[in-house]
Amino acid sequence: MAPILVADRLSKWYGARLAVDDVSFEVQQGEVMGLLGPNGSGKSTILRILTGYLRPSAGTARIAGFDVVAQGLQARNRIGYVPEDVPLYTHMRVTEFLEFMGRLRGLHGAALAGAIESVCERVSLGAVRDLLIGKLSRGYRQRVAIAQALISSPELLVLDEPTNGLDPRQIIELRDLIRLLAGNCAILVTSHVLAEIERIAHRAAILLNGRLLTVHALAKGEHGGALRVQVRAQAASAVDACLKAVDGVLEARREARSDGLETWRVRVSEPAVGERITAALAQAGFGVREITAAASDLEDLFLRLTAQERPR
Amino acid sequence: MKAFATLLAKETKALFSSPIAYAVIAVYLLLVGYTFTAALFITRMATLVHIFFQASVLLLLIIPIITMRQFSEERKSGTLELLLTAPVREFTIVLAKFGASMAVVLVMVALTASYAVVLAVYGNPDLGPIYSGYLGLVLLGSALTALGLVISALTANQIVAAVVSLGLFSLLWMLDSVAALLPDPFDSFLISLSLLAHFTPLATGAMYASNFGFFLSVTLLGLFLTVRALARR
Repeated sequence: MAPILVADRLSKWYGARLAVDDVSFEVQQGEVMGLLGPNGSGKSTILRILTGYLRPSAGTARIAGFDVVAQGLQARNRIGYVPEDVPLYTHMRVTEFLEFMGRLRGLHGAALAGAIESVCERVSLGAVRDLLIGKLSRGYRQRVAIAQALISSPELLVLDEPTNGLDPRQIIELRDLIRLLAGNCAILVTSHVLAEIERIAHRAAILLNGRLLTVHALAKGEHGGALRVQVRAQAASAVDACLKAVDGVLEARREARSDGLETWRVRVSEPAVGERITAALAQAGFGVREITAAASDLEDLFLRLTAQERPR
Repeated sequence: MKAFATLLAKETKALFSSPIAYAVIAVYLLLVGYTFTAALFITRMATLVHIFFQASVLLLLIIPIITMRQFSEERKSGTLELLLTAPVREFTIVLAKFGASMAVVLVMVALTASYAVVLAVYGNPDLGPIYSGYLGLVLLGSALTALGLVISALTANQIVAAVVSLGLFSLLWMLDSVAALLPDPFDSFLISLSLLAHFTPLATGAMYASNFGFFLSVTLLGLFLTVRALARR
């Protein structure tokens, strides 16, 4: 299947400052791709180039085969975009705004009415659809912005820092919504919050100083995270065998040994596996010094990569 | 075309649902109405020439207030990003904002047509200069609106947009006075750019194609530059 988005050697200069430096990546159909990086790493600039708001200084980007500059109208027709800070016409009512955005995207009559009904239901806007957008909470404004992006059933949904300013409940709801939408379209989402990307994306592209450091496939179905186990043992192989025999251990990797202490990183299916590991190690006669929550793979990778380069 | 109609409806509604449009129209009518009444009683002549000159100066002052928000506000609030990432051409967006701004100008100018009706009912005015004068006001309004949009597209600050537009309009208005200080051929070149020099024949009943061409050219240049200002990103 052809990728829905192909970014090829994109660069963007703001005057003398290079904001995006030779970035290339692809997003497959139905995939959730995260762009991860600290503030100022070029995430929003890349999204703005892909959505046609900014022109690239060099390189090309194609949405469903259409060049975002030369065939901008066709490319923009296939994208739903929620910019950072959720800009909306606050003097409009929710339905009025969705009608306006729907008409701009070529929907009219029954098709427009049907699309508004559908998106209001999908993002749970029914209760506020007749209210002025200016009167809505941040969470509802975010939903309105997502609703306008979804109104013409885009092939690619682009979300720029969608959890900014949301409370924990709204973040969980948004995460569920993104998972729900992922089946219908590809999603490109940026965040500087690593855990957010890890929870919703299939792959994460790590950016720093405008450069793409790596694209990392995220293990799905891993909800328990990782543990760091420190144990006193003579032979690493015995610890390895003991750990891997525990139900719920997905992977065990030796990280270090010093003064007779073995340090292992253990990926587990659920947090409760930690108790079973303690019991199994104790039963096998190993002295368990400490079991703590470890940084995730992505976190490790991010720290490792970004430590090599200092933010400009 | 449907996208243009959608944008035009949105822009017109936004302008006419804000108090700015009504305040601007009310002040314009009040000042022009006062001049009309005073001039009529003093001169007892069935002419609107003085009205056209006063209205043209008021347009210089008022149009920056109408155009200042058009792109500046969208840029500041971020909604320009929504518009420019929708599948709509930049020219369509610019044309819709121009159309909505011109709607306010046309309402202002059209409401002063009541003075022409009063003259026609109670006097025997020469209608030629009245037609050409109104045409001149519309053409002047169109050129100023297009230039105001260029300035608005260049800044996110409405006040800056209004002040710069006002400065530019005043400069273009006064060019013929400045030209008097310059030697030939610079003086005639500056005069050819003066709004007043091209408006005066229309206000006094002389219709020349060159004056139409000047105002239409300025309007088209303004719209073109606005599109370029939006595309420069």
